[in-house]
Amino acid sequence: MISKERVKYMTKLAQYDEKDQRQRQRFADYFRKDYVAIEMLKSLVTGTAAFCLILGVWALYDMEQVMQEINRMDLIPFATWIVIRYVAFMAVYLAITYIVYNRRYTKGRKELKKYYARLKKVNKLYQDEEGMPGGDDWEV
Amino acid sequence: MTGLLELKERVIRFCGRYEAFLLPVVKFILGLTTFLLINFNIGYMRQLSGILVAPVLAVLCAVLPTNAIILFATLLITGHLYALSLDVCLVWLILVVLILLLYFRFAPKDGYYAVLTPIAFQIHIPYIMPVTAGLLRTPASVASIASGTVVYYFLKGIRENEGILSAVEEEEEKTSKMIVALNQLLTNKEMFLVLATFVLVLVMVNLIRRLSIDHSWLVAIIAGILIELTMLVSGFMILGITGKMVWLIAGSVISLLIALAEQFIFFNLDYSRTENVQFEDDEYYYYVKAVPKNSVTTKDKQVKKIAAKEDAHKGERISRKALAEEMDIDEELLR
Repeated sequence: MISKERVKYMTKLAQYDEKDQRQRQRFADYFRKDYVAIEMLKSLVTGTAAFCLILGVWALYDMEQVMQEINRMDLIPFATWIVIRYVAFMAVYLAITYIVYNRRYTKGRKELKKYYARLKKVNKLYQDEEGMPGGDDWEV
Repeated sequence: MTGLLELKERVIRFCGRYEAFLLPVVKFILGLTTFLLINFNIGYMRQLSGILVAPVLAVLCAVLPTNAIILFATLLITGHLYALSLDVCLVWLILVVLILLLYFRFAPKDGYYAVLTPIAFQIHIPYIMPVTAGLLRTPASVASIASGTVVYYFLKGIRENEGILSAVEEEEEKTSKMIVALNQLLTNKEMFLVLATFVLVLVMVNLIRRLSIDHSWLVAIIAGILIELTMLVSGFMILGITGKMVWLIAGSVISLLIALAEQFIFFNLDYSRTENVQFEDDEYYYYVKAVPKNSVTTKDKQVKKIAAKEDAHKGERISRKALAEEMDIDEELLR
């Protein structure tokens, strides 16, 4: 006998299961701090790569002046100049990463709660239909 | 008015039911438009400018994910710029890598906006893009709008300087083509003005749209268009850019009308898509087709947001335990 109510809940569970499994599993596996920290680490890598690329482009653009200055340049102030810009760039980039992935975690966690609530409901419906005791043994 | 609403319902149901057929058609049209515009504007490589190239690529894009359009457009542009000049091609590839590193971290699913932005520039209504993204997406979409804007201005600059860039260079002028190409990115004040305007407008429209006030969408649209007009008119005057005022005003008016149409179509709409899912239990295999209905009101969305904020403030260290207690299931299941 097919229970329409049970099929409705199972359909919503299956719809959630269709989503990117790796991504939604991360909302279950990680605490908020860990999830955001991993994404910020990735942003650190991509941001540093992007900054090096931008620096390279600037050097290409100003090649003439760079070649003229390079022999008489004081390296420490120049390095300080680059580091300050790198820190400012990464501060903005990491702040954006923090905000965006915090919000994604909140949304993903909410969907996960709904998923488990429906899972529990489906199990209860099975129990009611078949009169079976206990309900902790489904696989997730 | 009632007739319009009924028509809207019928169109939405039709699109929801036959999305499996309509989506490839939309992707085909978008891809074809993109590739034809690229070939028309910067078609420097004869083999890629052929009459069959754009339709064939568009057919491929119809069956592949949305980001395939971006991939093929990138390859097409790379081919054309390679035919023009190796230095320009190198600058283009650096730009592509930068966009990959910065854009794909935040908005990889916004392929449509990244592709539509240069098309909107081409037909003089780019002002609709940040307003649309602000209404329908999140602030993270600013990455795709910005990418589309930068690509448009870069290619526009390349086309305007194609005479210099295609000339055979003397040894001592070896770096000049690269400088000309880099100038399209680094010294293009109009591009920076438009970028700053679009970022601000997208964020403002998104913020206003989510306020719990009456007619928030309408206020957001009007505020967005007005901010755009004000910033761009004053910016163009300060920078001494002439010849754009007419299209700026006309484009803004058209964008306003399109945005109002979007409000009519998309406001208070659940964006669920028709989905086919299958699952089984001990007795049956189930093959289920879920067709969306309008189900979520603006009020309900606001209540959910308040609940989401409360959840965000709970201590992370107890979230797994709290979740298990709340769901009345074993905590081990959440590991």
